[in-house]
Parts: sequence; C-alpha cells; structure tokens
Amino acid sequence: MTQAPIIRVESASKFYSGIAALEEVTFDLHPGEIHALAGENGAGKSTLCKLIAGVTTPSTGRIFVDGEEVSFANPKDATERGIAMVFQETSLVPQLTVAQNMVLGREKPLNSVRRVRNAARQVLQSLNFKVDPTQLAGSLSTAKRQMVEIARAVLNEARVVILDEPTAALTPEETDHLFDLVKQLQKRGVALIFISHALEEALNHADRITVLRNGRLMTTGPAKDFDRAALIRHMIGDDLVETAANRGPARARAAAPVLQVEDLRMGSMVNNMSFSVFPGEVTGIAGLIGSGRSEAAKVVVGHTKRNLDGGRIWLDGKEVRYTAPSQAIADGIAYVSEDRKYDGFFDTMSVARNIGLGWLAKFRGRQVLMPKERLRSVADHWRDRLAIHGAEGGKPVVYLSGGNQQKVVIAKSLAQEPRLVIFDEPTRGVDVGAIAEIRRIIRGFADSGAGVILISSYLPEILDLSDRILVAKSGTIVAEFARDEATAQRILHAAIH
Amino acid sequence: MADSTTLFAGLRDRNRLLETVVFAVTLALVAIFSLTVDGFAARGNLSVILSNSASLCILSCGMAVVIISRGLDLSIVAVMVAGATTYATCVQAGLGGGMALVVTALVITVVGAINAWLIAFAELPAMLATLASAMVVTGLFRFAILQGEFLILLQKSNPAVQILTSDILPGVPVTTVAMMAALAATWVLLNRTIAGEVIYAMGDNFLAARLSGLPVRPVTILIYVWAALMAMVAGLLVSSASGAVDFRTVTNGTLLFDVILVVVLGGIPLRGGRGGLRNIILGVALIAVLRNGMTLMNVTTQMQDVIKGVVLLIAVAVENFLNPRDIETDTVGDL
Repeated sequence: MTQAPIIRVESASKFYSGIAALEEVTFDLHPGEIHALAGENGAGKSTLCKLIAGVTTPSTGRIFVDGEEVSFANPKDATERGIAMVFQETSLVPQLTVAQNMVLGREKPLNSVRRVRNAARQVLQSLNFKVDPTQLAGSLSTAKRQMVEIARAVLNEARVVILDEPTAALTPEETDHLFDLVKQLQKRGVALIFISHALEEALNHADRITVLRNGRLMTTGPAKDFDRAALIRHMIGDDLVETAANRGPARARAAAPVLQVEDLRMGSMVNNMSFSVFPGEVTGIAGLIGSGRSEAAKVVVGHTKRNLDGGRIWLDGKEVRYTAPSQAIADGIAYVSEDRKYDGFFDTMSVARNIGLGWLAKFRGRQVLMPKERLRSVADHWRDRLAIHGAEGGKPVVYLSGGNQQKVVIAKSLAQEPRLVIFDEPTRGVDVGAIAEIRRIIRGFADSGAGVILISSYLPEILDLSDRILVAKSGTIVAEFARDEATAQRILHAAIH
Repeated sequence: MADSTTLFAGLRDRNRLLETVVFAVTLALVAIFSLTVDGFAARGNLSVILSNSASLCILSCGMAVVIISRGLDLSIVAVMVAGATTYATCVQAGLGGGMALVVTALVITVVGAINAWLIAFAELPAMLATLASAMVVTGLFRFAILQGEFLILLQKSNPAVQILTSDILPGVPVTTVAMMAALAATWVLLNRTIAGEVIYAMGDNFLAARLSGLPVRPVTILIYVWAALMAMVAGLLVSSASGAVDFRTVTNGTLLFDVILVVVLGGIPLRGGRGGLRNIILGVALIAVLRNGMTLMNVTTQMQDVIKGVVLLIAVAVENFLNPRDIETDTVGDL
C-alpha cells in the first residue's frame, strides 16, 4: 500500500444539531483495496461514508480525491469523481425497469430504449448476474436490488464503491455471492468500502479494517492484524465476553400450549401455517426473508386485518380472532415490531412517555385523567430494569442509539405484562453491546414463565436463545427441531430445500 | 409534557424558533399599529379585537386537536353553519335556549361522529372524508331547512339569542367567556387526560399507536366530535351576533383558511404530534392583530387575503427551513 490514497479524509468532523456524529477522523482509501468499517451503531460509520459520497458535507475538515481537495455539494458531484454509494435502503425507483434505474440521472437527452437495455445487459452479464434488465426494480428481492445498484456503479465507471451494511438483509448464499462480486470489482481496480455488523465479514473479506467508536477513529490497519476479540475490544472499549446464554438443562414442558395456530392462511404470504407455543419457552422461527413469519405473527395479533383466508387461533385453549392489536394486547399478546422506526416507537416523545403509553394501552381502565405518578413509577421501573441509557432530560427517543431505541420498544410491550411476546428481528440494527443485553431480556422473560416467539434471520441468535426451533418456508412451517438436535446446517437445509 | 418554559426558550430550541419569531412579529405589529393607526390602541378597540377573534380562537381549538393527531378537518365551517341553522330552527319552533342547545349539540355530535367513522373505520384520508362531508352537510341543510335560501334569521329579540350576545358580568360578554372556556377545555384535554396523550401518540406515529394497543378508534371519534362541537359554539356566537346564519361563510369566506393559518403560524406542524395551547393563542393573537390593524387602515379585503396568503407561505417556508425533513427523519442510529 505505497500508492497515494484515492480518497483521503483529513480530520473531518460532522455535527448534527450540536451533537458530534464524527470527530476529527482521518481516513485513507487506497486504490483497489477492500476496506471494512466497523463500529457500533452511532459510531459514525454511515456519516463518514456519507461525507465521502457527497450526501452530507463535513462541518470541519477536508476531503481529497486523487490528492486534490474537493467539496461535494451533492451526491452527483461525487458520482462524477467516480464515487458511488449503495445504501441500506436501496435507492432504486420501483416503477422503473432495472435498465432504466441503471442509467438514472445520466440519461442522454434522447435515450434509445434498446441501447440502454443492451448497455445494462452487458454490465449485468459481465458481473455474472442473472437479472433481466427489463424487469421492474420493484419486483426484485432485496439481494438483487442491491446487486443492480452495484451494477449501476460499474456502468457509471465508479472507482470507489461504498456499501452500507450490504449483507443485513441477505441469506448466507446471497452474502457469498455478494462477496464474490466484491472481489471481482476489486480485480477491476475498484476500491471498496463496506460497513458491516458481522465481524466475520470484515475479518474474512477486507484488506484493511477501520474501527470507529462514538464518532472517533479507534484504530485502522491490515485485516490480518485483527481477530474477533481485538475487533470487539476496539468497538466497545473493553472486552465483552460473548457467551452463549447459560441456561442449564432443558425444563419440563408445560402441558398445554399458550398459543396454538392451525392452518393459518393469508394472501400469498401465509399458507396453512400451524404451530404451538408453550409457556416458559422461547420458540424460535427461522427462515429466509419473505417466508411468511412476520406476516403470520401480524395476523395473530390483529395487525393485519384484511385478506385472512382461514385458520384458527387458540390462546390458552380459548379460540380467538383479533381484528385490532388492542384486543390482542388486552388478552396479553404483544408484538415487538421488526421495524421500530416504522411502527415501533414514538420518536418525538421521551422514553418515559413511550413506556407510559404502552402501560396506558392495557391498564388505563376507566380512568379519564393521566395517572402521572403511576406512569412515572412504571417508566422508571422499566427504564432501570432494561438499562435504557440516554433518557436524561426527557430527550426524544429519536436521539437514542439503535440498541436503546429497541429497548424502549421492548419496555413498552413488557410494561403491558403480557403472557406471550412475539419478538420480530429484535436485534436488527442494534449495537454489539446491546445485542447481548436484549438477548438476556428475552431469555429472562421466557424464564419467568411467559411464552416467547422469536423471529430472527440470524441463525446464531435463534440457536442461542430457542428451546424449540421451527423453520418456515413459503408461508408454512416445514420443520421442527428440539434444542439439542438443531444445528445451523439442518435449519438452513430445511429453510432452503 | 409540561411546557412550562418561557417563549424565549425558542431562541435556544430550533423547534420553538418559529414561535418566538411569530411572538416577536405580533409584538412589533402591535407597536407599529399603536403608533401609526388611529384608534388601534383605544380601549374600545381591544374589546373589539377580543370578541372578533373569539370565534376564530374557538374554531382553532377544535382544529388544533385534529391536526396534533395528524388529521385535518375541512368541514368545521360547514358544521359551524349547520349547528347555527339547527339552533335557529329550534328557536323558531319555540324551544327554549337550553333545549335548543341540547338538540343542536346532539345533531352536531352525530355529524362529527360520521366524520370520525369515515376516517377511523372506513379508513378514508381525513382530508377527503371531511371535504366530502362538508359538501354533504352544507347541501343537506340548505336543501332541507332553508329550502335553497342562504340566510336564516335569528331574531335578536328572542331570549334564546339574546343570552348569547349579552354580558355575563359588566364588560365581560358571553363570547369572551366561551373563548376562555374553549381554551381551558382544550388545555385539559391535551395535557391532563389519557385521550390527550393518545392524540399526541397518534400524531407522532399512528401505526405504532395502533400496534401498541392504544384506543385509536375511540379517540378518533372524540377528536372529530370535539372539533364539531367547537365549531358549533363558534357558529352560535357568530350568528347570534349578526342576527342571521349565512351559508355564504362556507362558500365565499376565508374562515377555514384563517383557522389553518392560525394553527400553522402558531407552530403546530401539519405532520402532527406537537404543539399545544400556547401555539393556538399565539396564532390567534397574530391573525387578530393583523386583521384588526389592516381593517383600521382601510386595507381592502382582497389585499388582506393577499397579505395573509403571503404570511402563510413565509411561515411554512420558515418552518421547513428550521425543521428540514432529513434531520427530522434521520435517527442517531443512522448518523
């Protein structure tokens, strides 16, 4: 790595409403290298990438491309210098075709449909993608959409490609395919930056790794100089021992299930799904994205009210059918959403008000006035119990880290004292330290005798927490494993084949 | 929850900056009008401003609650006229003031509940549902009660009408008392009741409110019935003062625009979840002073409309500048 860096960020800082997202970070990217950015949520990884891609501008500090100082007013300026960013939420226009998306923003005044399509097809083929350029972008899976974005970068002759958490929503096979592609791009001389939460990806695929913490640069160096423990130490500051939850021997199962679902059908997503959940157990549901797990859960709690085509649901032996979540919550079933920002928390409200609203939903009774004292004690109790940080001074939840936000959503549900909680991807977008805590909360909740359904696409999480593992595929449960017979291979095999 | 900080907190808090600006502009206008416009600072004019802004303020109390829940009620002016029509009909039929008020309140509650049903159960967008119901209500009442006329008289000599225009205490008219009562009731609803907390939650994130098990449907009914009843009170005050119910307020007037102007200028964002009583008072104060001053300066109504429109545009632009969408939607986790 003796060449001059293609990109150099020199002591850059970025402040959002006075809060530093990035502080005095200096970062070099060399031509043709794969550079991993590691760090907890809120460490400043995305901010650093956004500066390089011209999405935002640094508050202080300078950016150089090929040794020449630049100041990008918008992403287009960065694109013209050969820098492309692939976002977490992909930025394709769903109503346009793959080919149209690939030339978006660089169309000539007169575009020949055929020429555009051929150019797109050529790039796609050279990268070995099996995507039809005439397909609508909206009909593609997450993985394919990401690949189209990468192909767009190639078509635009990008020399630097930034991938923001590219593997968050991918299956293991798709992840392998993605990294093949990354290597291919590297061979063409493209430099890549990727952000990842999975430490193995950084260790196995990157040439160099940079670790950020709280907006500051912790370390940077060749990937071979790091191991898992060292990486975690840099990310969170002290050694966090990642141990499997220590659970002792399997308990005797309660005789009757708390929840029983039979032949649930809804639209095209849920096909004759049947399963049971026992109290005191974590029932893990593994499966690929789109296997109908979340959809089934949303039907059970009454979140989805239309398109129910049939099926029966029993709670403690009593048949139920909810048409609104408030009914399910009154009966003690809570659903912790997979997308907390979309339908999980109230982002302009304080932690205490969020938790209070959860409590009010179930326990308001016939009261008209706000029971302020009671709400304060409920909120204090759950904030302490779940160790939610950053709630000082009634700060809105939107300013909390991902992990603390997730804890707020969980606290809001647990304050309802439910007997069954469905956790849908509870550690998605959550920092390493908080992941362990959230897993402890889930495990502890089940140990207190309640029923838990854990929907997760992250196999180690399912294996670590579950007493029983169900595997969903195409809207139905295709396999069931007891805790000691489940392995990653067997679950994957059932989920895919 | 408790917004006990002063208005000047806005200088430190970006979200409050608009409020501070509006407050400063209002004070500046009062100062300028007092110095340059004859009769503005007169004692009589103050009570004119108060009683003229009462109906605007009461309507804004209803609209503010709706907008904080991230809804919109375009039917309030139609409901206002419908309420006054019902009252006038009852009074003409010989009912006493109290009985007529009960009947009117029942009718208006039904209208509000229908609005709410369309929004909460049929799940129509609030803007379309209330726009349509405004047309239906106006048409229905003109057809059924007025037989196509646009005026219905309220005999000022009738005791049921007289009481609405009288003074409760010497120098304190019913109108002013009704305005204070509406403000107080709105404050209690928003700050002290569980329903108020649910209203903020719905405005902040409706899907989360529903998924948390909050009673979003009953509260939606409360919200739109609240707005309808506020409109009814405003309607009774306006038409008893003028001695007639005038349906042209719905079709020709800019009252609905003024109400939205008050709410937005006061600093209640249309995306909901924020704002409170202070914002309503602030918005009403600015519009009332502006209207009164311009009238005293003999500015034509057309010119007044132009000025009000420009003021709204500036307010929205300032609000957008202070709270740009990307900071609003970015979470710290995304930084």
